[in-house]
Amino acid sequence: MKRSGLIWSWFWMILGILYFFLPLVATFLFSLHGKRGVLSFLAYQQLFNDQQFIKGFSYSVLWAILTIVVGILLLVPTAYLIRLRLPQVRTTVEFVTLLPFVIPPIVYVFGLVRSFSQPPFLIVDSPALLIAGYTVLSMPYMYRAVDTGLRAIDARTLTEAAQSLGAGWGTILFRVILPNIRVAILSGAFLSFAIVIGEFILASYLVKPAFAPYLAYLIQSKPYEPAAATIISFALTWACLGLIQLFGRGEQSQVAGGH
Amino acid sequence: MIHLSLSKISKEYSGTKVVQDFNLDIEKGEFVSFLGPSGCGKTTTLRMVAGFEVPTSGQIILDGVDITGQAPNQRNVGMIFQAYALFPNMTVSQNIGFGLRIRRESESAIKERVAEMLTLIRLEKHANKYPFQLSGGQQQRVALARALANRPKVLLLDEPLSALDAKIRVSLRTEIRSIQKKLGITAIFVTHDQEEALSISDRIVVMNEGNMEQVGTPFQIYNFPETEFVANFVGSLNTAIAEVTDPTKGFVSLDGVQFVSASKMEGCTKGDKVRLAIRPERFSFASEVKKANVVDTQIENITFLGSVVRVHIRIGNAKFIMDTFNYPSLELPQIGAMEQVTCSKEAVLVLSAVDK
Repeated sequence: MKRSGLIWSWFWMILGILYFFLPLVATFLFSLHGKRGVLSFLAYQQLFNDQQFIKGFSYSVLWAILTIVVGILLLVPTAYLIRLRLPQVRTTVEFVTLLPFVIPPIVYVFGLVRSFSQPPFLIVDSPALLIAGYTVLSMPYMYRAVDTGLRAIDARTLTEAAQSLGAGWGTILFRVILPNIRVAILSGAFLSFAIVIGEFILASYLVKPAFAPYLAYLIQSKPYEPAAATIISFALTWACLGLIQLFGRGEQSQVAGGH
Repeated sequence: MIHLSLSKISKEYSGTKVVQDFNLDIEKGEFVSFLGPSGCGKTTTLRMVAGFEVPTSGQIILDGVDITGQAPNQRNVGMIFQAYALFPNMTVSQNIGFGLRIRRESESAIKERVAEMLTLIRLEKHANKYPFQLSGGQQQRVALARALANRPKVLLLDEPLSALDAKIRVSLRTEIRSIQKKLGITAIFVTHDQEEALSISDRIVVMNEGNMEQVGTPFQIYNFPETEFVANFVGSLNTAIAEVTDPTKGFVSLDGVQFVSASKMEGCTKGDKVRLAIRPERFSFASEVKKANVVDTQIENITFLGSVVRVHIRIGNAKFIMDTFNYPSLELPQIGAMEQVTCSKEAVLVLSAVDK
């Protein structure tokens, strides 16, 4: 009974791994067929020599960094204030942060275009609108990561402890709260990075250079390079997840024992 | 000399009064405990002293200065929390020195004070450890040192022992009390544990539903409870409804069994119903020594509690418990037997009149 259970566990696990990895392996192998008859990294080489790819990718990285900065500036104080002073609005805010999962991006982008293409908010051409849009899209990840971090350190009690020792708000935020939720912020940041790098609809409809629209163009015009670009995109996302794990390790036990 | 004065303090949350008309003067170096069940307003009162809650009305005077409207970081009060609240990103030394750094004291002064505090809490060897590397008891000692490092005017302890296991709790409360006495610092200790409050306090404030029920020394609170709530909440208590037979001489009758009480029965007349209370340990078997009250009882059950033997007795229709010390030569009666028990007239408390 025990043995057959173990066999079935392995069976389902292997099936799961195959389901996820087979398409990836197939894409990777296909991307190596750039040169006829031999396996090579020619597609990757050509990709990195393509100025359009460098431009699209660089812009996506820039949009991601700006999104992370805006997200941190907007959501860290919000989550902290809600934990500290407005616990009654937490459920509502949590619901709002989940809206990007419910509203299709296409609906969202048309809403943005319609709202911000006429005075007094004529900013449809500005990258600010794209950043604002990305901030909203990455909100579920950033807000939840920060909120979980604040809950883990019992931010309210730490704040009161620091206050009773004479600390002002600046000291509390920069010397007590932020260092202790660094891992949570990084998790939110890396997830936001992964979301922005792969985002297509907003960049494409707001006509801004980015990696995903370039990838879409590539698929229509070239055979092997899109596969190579997909693998690069995957590698980048996985690197982000790896970094979350790396930063999260060690810090967890410190926080867990700290209160 | 009055060091901290809470005058007519009240606190309301959306119309619900959680603390009502709280008045208390605390002397310098005094250790006062706020004792009461959950939701009685003890922590809210403490948080008002700390500045984390603003009183709806009333005044808090510390060292002659009205601090009612002051921010928590301007009051110079030390606070210890149930959850320790050590900063996880800082070592023990950094935690203790945190408040001193905020005050911009010199590095040498901080180092000296931190060393002094580490010696006080006997954790010199743990100076460079992080909170997660310490046990709960050690973390709370660090929290104590951190709160004391700033030389606060008053030390506030919000159920600091609740998260610890029983043995550590007893040793740490003794340590807290001895450090408090050594430094002569005024302290307010919030607890729902009567044993804790009775063992370390100079005075206890018993609270219930936002009101002060009684203020007094542990001895007064335990032996002379002024209200039924205090009598019930602090220690075990037998209560029953009795009839006043002679208020001037202190006679009451419990189902025909006569008791004499030392309690004043002002305003009572013959025939009034009153609530009678006797602590279990105030009874003894009448075969040993006979006191003012000697009554016939039936033994219903006997429970062994280690150092104490609990005897369940029936007096009239009322079921009482009687606690007697356990010693090897103790002769216990048989269950179901009739025995005489005795208690002094001071042991018989007449708490309140019962509505007719």
